[in-house]
Parts: sequence; structure tokens; C-alpha cells
Amino acid sequence: MTSVSLPAAAAAKPSVLRPGRILLYVVLTVGAILMITPFVWMLLTAFKSNLEIAKFGWLPSELRWRNFVEAMQTAPFLTYFRNSLFIAVGETAFTLAVCTTAGYALAKLPIRGGKTLLNYFIVLLLVPFQIILVPLFLIVKSIPLFGGNNILGHGGIGWLNSWWGLIIPLGAAPLFTFLARQFYVSLPDQLAQAARVDGLGEFGIFWRIMTPLIKPALITIAVFQIEAAWNGFLWPLMITTSDDLRPLQLGLAIFSQNPAEIQWPYLMAGTALATLPMIVLFVFAQKRFVEGMANVGIKG
Amino acid sequence: MSTTLERPALAAPRKVTSSKDSRTLIRSQARAGWALLAPALLHSAVFIVIPVIAVLVLSLTDYSFGDTWSWVGFGNYADLFRDVDFLASLWHTVLYAIVVIPISMAISLAVAIGLNQKIRGLGFFRTAFYIPTVTATVAVATIWLWIYNPGSGLANGFLSLFGFAPNRWLADPATALPSLMVVGIWQGLGTKIIIYLAALQGVSRDLIESAELDGAGRWQRFANVTWPAIGPVQFFVLITSIVGTFQVFDLVYVMTQGGPGSETRVLVMDIYQNAFQDLKLGYASAETVIMMIVIALFIGVGRLLQKADAND
Repeated sequence: MTSVSLPAAAAAKPSVLRPGRILLYVVLTVGAILMITPFVWMLLTAFKSNLEIAKFGWLPSELRWRNFVEAMQTAPFLTYFRNSLFIAVGETAFTLAVCTTAGYALAKLPIRGGKTLLNYFIVLLLVPFQIILVPLFLIVKSIPLFGGNNILGHGGIGWLNSWWGLIIPLGAAPLFTFLARQFYVSLPDQLAQAARVDGLGEFGIFWRIMTPLIKPALITIAVFQIEAAWNGFLWPLMITTSDDLRPLQLGLAIFSQNPAEIQWPYLMAGTALATLPMIVLFVFAQKRFVEGMANVGIKG
Repeated sequence: MSTTLERPALAAPRKVTSSKDSRTLIRSQARAGWALLAPALLHSAVFIVIPVIAVLVLSLTDYSFGDTWSWVGFGNYADLFRDVDFLASLWHTVLYAIVVIPISMAISLAVAIGLNQKIRGLGFFRTAFYIPTVTATVAVATIWLWIYNPGSGLANGFLSLFGFAPNRWLADPATALPSLMVVGIWQGLGTKIIIYLAALQGVSRDLIESAELDGAGRWQRFANVTWPAIGPVQFFVLITSIVGTFQVFDLVYVMTQGGPGSETRVLVMDIYQNAFQDLKLGYASAETVIMMIVIALFIGVGRLLQKADAND
């Protein structure tokens, strides 16, 4: 460990380090196995029969694909899946629209008090969701002119139990405004200036010149937002009452809480449905995830 | 925020613009800026700022969805400190944070250092460690619920390999909370590893090499060069971990519902039940305010630790 690297020692380094390297690979591999095993176990269970899961074992005797079909029939997993997809897409579109415009304005346009506004978003980025849980429910319940509410927000349920309520309040997180701003800031001002000389308006510059240049950032934001929306649980639990609107995570939780009898193979089939899309998304967009995390963590 | 105009002016100093023209330009840009910013400002005001203020106000009332309500001053707070469910939740959440945060930070840093050694298969390892993080907590909890199954779960299967007696895990008051902590640590490693790895890659090679030339051993190089260099990132990871652990809910909701008894009851769960099952919104708000204070205390302590570390 504390070998002083004299020239002679340096020459002998590769062979000296070897056992350490091997140990490193062993430790990392064991770690990686610990990370992946629960998912493998999930998949294997999804193929088993109820008899097989009565006692501990690894492999199913056959691949019972029909478990997946039967799981879909036991609980409306396909509806849940569609709802999750709808929420993820809606929330991502909303976030992209709101956060890129705001990020661009903060980065590039001469707004009085721009610095203060930037700090405002940075402070909000630190507000955890659990803090605003209770009042957020009340606000969403009193959105005027929705869900039977009058103009003052009384009398009805507002955005409760609606797509609006599922999508809008949790979209457009200040984090993404900040992230978008970080990317716009790094673009050269001359580009906008040149477009201005050519007679392009401010919105045109934002939309046609600058935004296409931060495509990687847009993908990063989209990927993070899709993940957050797909994995959300507490908010849908609070505001939905019908299966028509419930996302997959909520459906899964309800299914797993059925005290009568948990059908483990079906539950694991449903869980696979809930996890695999995000794992696939991550594997394909790994670079974006990693860069995005690093950007937020290190610049922020 | 006049950088927009300064830089082009430097680039083209010969171009003469009348001050009137440039003022209208600034004004039209500012107008566009406000228009672009308006949706985000409105959204954050309605869905973040107003709720934060509202929670403080609500905590001083006995509001419960009805038409009539009254101010109760600090009555809710006084009641909370006699509420055994709340005190148990607070204690479990604090315990959860104190155990999970340091362990997960230490493991993440160690793995990140390992991954930073120019190893083969970096992509594979990074993916493996990050997958639990991209997976929904509900799904993770469901999988672990099955792993901890006392009858034929993986955890007991694993124990039996070494000849140990099966454990009741989530059903046993002594092991329920630690079992949840294991899942919390397991799931939270990915994000921290990736942030640490990025920070480690940002540590100046020159500094490390010059320390090496000065005869600093591996451990000394880590303690004197790497560790101070990743200080700010440590603090960032610490804050997000504090906020994250205090947010723990999905895991508990699916795996134990706060049981056995109230051995794994946590703050957000208590708030949720008080607010939406018992409809005591004022009371739940007071609870939220206390949680805010505890989170702030944790962050304050973290800051002190970081300062003490930096001054060493």
C-alpha cells in the first residue's frame, strides 16, 4: 500500500500490482453480482409455478410464459402500463417546454434581476417533495374551474383524480430549468447576435438556433424526467382513486398488499414489466445519465 | 446580465450602434425573456413556493378539509411531542438516516475509487451498480419483499447455504428496520458512485503526480490530494442523501406498512396517514415543519463536519 515509488520499484510495478488488481476485479464483480441478483431472482420467479416457489430454489423447471398472460388477467397491469407511459410522456413534454424556455431566458436574455431569479430556482431545487406534500394536495384540489370547482376553486375536486393532476404539478422541476440553463450558458453569444442581424426574432433564435444545439441536454433532461415520472408512487397514491388513471407502480403496490394471497410468480411478472423499460432506457442512454448526474453533482 | 451585449461589442468594436437602438434591442430581448420565463415562474410559485408557505401557516391551524377551522397556535406542536406514533416515526427516520448515509457514502466512494483505476469493463460495472437506482422503489421493494420471504425467499436460502437458521427478517421487530436499511443502501449506491466517479476523474493528474514525485504513498496521496479535492462533491452527495433518506416511504409502504407493530414507521408515512387517512391536515403540517427542521439540523451538522475536515 505505502510502497514508495523509487525508480526500481516503478519498473517492477506491473507484476507487483497484480494481486491487488485481481482482488479489485474480484471485489467489483462480487459487488456487481449483489446488484444484479435480485433482478435475476425476480425474472426466474416470474416463470415458476406456485408449487415450485413453495420451497427455495433457483431455476424454474420450465419457462412458463403464460404466467405473464395470467398476471395481466389477474390485475389490470396493461392499463397501469399504459397510464405510466402516458404520464411519463406528458410530463416529459411539459418539462421540456417549460424548462428549456426558462433555462434559455436565464442564460441568455438581459432580464433585470436575472441573477436573483437564477438563485430563486437554485433554492427551489433544494425543496424536497415530502415538505410540500400536504399543501400541494390542497392546491391541486382547488384549481379553479376544473373538476366541478367554481372560479374560486371551491365545490369540486379540481385536478384530483385527473391526468392534469398527475402530470402538471410534478413536471417542470427547478432542477431541469437549472440544468437547461447550464447548457445554454455554454453556447457562444455570437450565434444569437448573428441571427439577430439576419432579422430573426428572439423566439426564433431560441427555437431555431440555440435549442437545436443543446440536443444532448434535452435528451438528458428527457431521460431523467421519464425515469422520475415512471417511478413515481406517493403522488399518484395520494390523488388517484380509479384504476383508469393509476400508474404501474401504484398498481404493483396495491397488488402486493393484497393480504388474501400474494401470487409471487404473477407479482414478479408485473414487477418485471415495471422495471425492464427503465433498465433498457438506462442501458441505451447510459452516457446521458452519467453526464447529467455529473453535471448536476459537480457544477451544482 | 448584460453579458449578451458586451461580448459581441468586443468582437466587433467598429460597428457603431446608436444607444437608442441598443436600448430598444435590450428591451425587446428582456420582454422575450420574461415571456419565456413566465410559465416556469408561475408553475414554481403555484406548486412549490405557495405550498412551502402554506405548510407553515397550516401547521398553526386545526384544518381538516372542512369549512370551519381555527387557529391553534403551537398546539399541534405540543401535541406532537406527546404522540408516540410520531416520536417512533421520528426516531426510526433519524436512525435510518444515521445508518444508511455513512455506509452508502463509504461503499460508493470505495467502488468509485475501484472503478477509477483504469479497469476493463467499466461500462458493465457502472451499469450493474446503477440499475437498482433507475428501478422504481416500489418494484425494488416488491422484489425484496420476496427475497425476505421467511418461507422460500432468497435471503433464507442464502443463509441455509452456510448452515444458518432461517430468519423472519421483516416480521421480526429486531431485524425489520435493519432489513429495510440494507435495501436502502443497496438501491442508493448507483447515483453516488457516478457522482464520485466524475469527481475523481476531475481531480488534477498533475497534483497527484507531483505528490507521487515528492514520495507520497498511495494512502498519503489519497488523504492529501484526492480527499480535499472531492470535498464539495462529498457535501453535495451528503445533502442529497439526507433529503433522500428522510423521504423514505415507498420502501416501507410496500415492505412492512410500518410494522411489525410500529417498528418501521417513518415520518413521511406518519404524515401521510395523519393527513389523508385521519384528515388532520394542520397536525400533519406541523409534523412536516418539524421534519424540515430536523433535515436542516442534519445539513448543518454535515456542514460543520465538512468545515472541520477542510481545516485539518
